[in-house]
Amino acid sequence: MKASAVRGHLDGLLLSVLESGPLHGYAVITAVQERSNGVLELRKGTIYPALNKLERLGLLRSVWEADGERRRRCYELTDAGRRSLAEERSVWREFTAAIGSVLEPAPGPGHAT
Amino acid sequence: MSDPGRPAVGAADPIDAHVADLAAALHGPARAKSRMVTELREGLVDAARDLASGPDPDHDAARLAVREFGSVAEIAPSFQRELTIAQARHTARTVMLIAPLLLVCWYLVRTWDGATGRQLPDTVELLVAHLGGVAAVAALLAAAALAATGALARRLPTPHRLPLAVAWTGTVAATALAVSALTLTLASLLAANWPLSVAAGVVIITCHAKVAASARACRECARLPVVTP
Repeated sequence: MKASAVRGHLDGLLLSVLESGPLHGYAVITAVQERSNGVLELRKGTIYPALNKLERLGLLRSVWEADGERRRRCYELTDAGRRSLAEERSVWREFTAAIGSVLEPAPGPGHAT
Repeated sequence: MSDPGRPAVGAADPIDAHVADLAAALHGPARAKSRMVTELREGLVDAARDLASGPDPDHDAARLAVREFGSVAEIAPSFQRELTIAQARHTARTVMLIAPLLLVCWYLVRTWDGATGRQLPDTVELLVAHLGGVAAVAALLAAAALAATGALARRLPTPHRLPLAVAWTGTVAATALAVSALTLTLASLLAANWPLSVAAGVVIITCHAKVAASARACRECARLPVVTP
């Protein structure tokens, strides 16, 4: 699935993979790809500004953590981030249910042969 | 961007070259820019390690990592959008904190002169009232811009031209500060306590320099291409 198709849902995807605990930027990228079995294509470089934006909105917080000689910025959900993720999930379920009911209508009694 | 503390991936490192090109293309607050570029570099090094055939990332793995992350032309607009907003917030914060200082300085000068029985000319008083009004409006607009690019942006989309609006708000505030400094300097000739007026003028002209520089940087950022959210 192309990166453009993911774009509108990127915030929700990032919040979702951070739900289980803090991760640094590259771990967030690999988590999204692993959870989608490699189906979702990300323009990996754009994940960093996206994480920065979510932090600006107060949905994430981050700290620099030392990893040997390297330093990594680790992100975790704030309470507002958890609430936002719950809303995203709810909206997504309603959306997919509505689209699904149009694309794959349940066979009604009138359609029985 | 080479850092001797980091693992080397080759002499002519594609990651270092890519990061340097990206850093050259971006404009915004130095700290925010450094942070974003450093994070990207760490991610590229991780990706090169994953892609390498051996235990250490090689030149080809580094080049592949750069390609997977996207060219400078592809990713710079996303980075620039955040940096432009960061610069707008920096300018807004500066205006919000400094503009009220103008009112404080004028209040001190007027109170002192009033206490000694001397008053500034009516023209000066009128100009001061208008400049104070401009400063107050600029501070309110700056506070609104901070809210619109912060927690409020969870619910409302950030207007595309907001950074430019903040830049011009900062420019107007800087102009008000410059005129105030000039007025205070002239008024010091008539003031009972001229050292106080001169000191207030110096404080205000310093503030003017700070706001004007931030507003100029914000105008430059607002002109750069950014990705639409």
